Amino acid sequence: MSQDHERIEELLAGYVLLSLSGEDAIEADRLLSEHVPTCPMCRETLAGFQAVVGELPVAAAPAIVPDLVLPRIHRGMADTPAHVRRGVSRIAVAASVAALVGMAGFSVSLSGRASKAEEQRGRALAVLSAMRQPGASPVSLPSQSGSSGGLVEVSGPTLERMYVYGDDVPNPAPGHEYQLWLGSGGTFQPIGDTFRPEDGIVLLELTVDTTRFDEIWITEELAGSHPSVPSADGTHSWRSALAA
Amino acid sequence: MQEEDRLDLELHRRIAAGDREAFDELYRRYSGAAYGLALRVTAQDTIAQEVVQDAFLALWRAPEAYDPSRGAFRSFFLSLVHHRAVDAVRREQRLRNRTERASNLEPLRGEDVAEDVVEGAYLAVRRKEVRSALETLPPEQRQVLELAYFGGKTQVQIAEELRIPVGTVKTRTLAAMRKLRRALYRED
Repeated sequence: MSQDHERIEELLAGYVLLSLSGEDAIEADRLLSEHVPTCPMCRETLAGFQAVVGELPVAAAPAIVPDLVLPRIHRGMADTPAHVRRGVSRIAVAASVAALVGMAGFSVSLSGRASKAEEQRGRALAVLSAMRQPGASPVSLPSQSGSSGGLVEVSGPTLERMYVYGDDVPNPAPGHEYQLWLGSGGTFQPIGDTFRPEDGIVLLELTVDTTRFDEIWITEELAGSHPSVPSADGTHSWRSALAA
Repeated sequence: MQEEDRLDLELHRRIAAGDREAFDELYRRYSGAAYGLALRVTAQDTIAQEVVQDAFLALWRAPEAYDPSRGAFRSFFLSLVHHRAVDAVRREQRLRNRTERASNLEPLRGEDVAEDVVEGAYLAVRRKEVRSALETLPPEQRQVLELAYFGGKTQVQIAEELRIPVGTVKTRTLAAMRKLRRALYRED
């Protein structure tokens, strides 16, 4: 095994245990998006480590759950409108899933293709429902370029996903698409595929560990260019600090 | 696929269709393990209850998050609980001063704190197997693994706590994961 792969395995082991931070976390995310999908040995190692971590929870001693928990869950279920469950389901079905789906802390699903008004309404309701969840932290993303469209990011400790919703979002310049980036300490990494608004509507649904990041940025990028750093010279962009 | 995994799959399918009885059955099967795990990581019962509540509600609201092709439901769901518990630990300032109960080895050596927790017998069997595998690790490797997984600590935090270089934490973590993998899956 090469020295590089020994180092990669160290990162993968820390990654599946959720114990990486700082530069190691950023490097692991980069490896997971660039190297691992193309390396059979690393994919096999990652799958093996994930299987191990999947077994660790049962080592903890079970405990009797207080009686009040299940009724609280039932109340939460009753407060979940059927259309929210259906809406979330539709999003998932429509999602284009990145190669890293299922990896703890960095599985990404992306849906930015609202094609019907009904679906758009359902998805908007899913976002509104997410905003109402305890601890949800909606963040308005101000346009860096005076664009008319408004974008809102919603994430929180009790949410399974992070949402970005926008309406009246202008189309990117010809030959360009939008890219979402999350940053930590001024270093950004692309999240998910590039996207375009449809009828001015944008809805991104991502399962990503936002605690690793402190900033969100949406930029205009040349279609198919797979940039590794955000372009600051696009016609449109939105940027904001993430909620602590 | 084992019979218990098949039952989980069937319950999950029914939950996806909105069957609340199936949800309650799945709660009965996994709430004890989920709460025990959350309690172990957070060391605070109110936070652990919130973690369990949120995890089950997330399952109800987005059952499609579980993809059966990617492994057993048990692993998926308890990993979800673990992830949320670690998030809670890192978000809650007050948990930074929690006792060492969450990350020490004692609970794995002693009897279960709740032997009468209602759960499938297969979980108890698997628990013994996983604990036996953990017992095969050298103490220093097991320590970093448990501080990371059950303590919710980063490698940097572990290095500070144990007063060893971060590189040593990484080396021990990788060695522990490799040995545990061999022990659990009988790899040569």
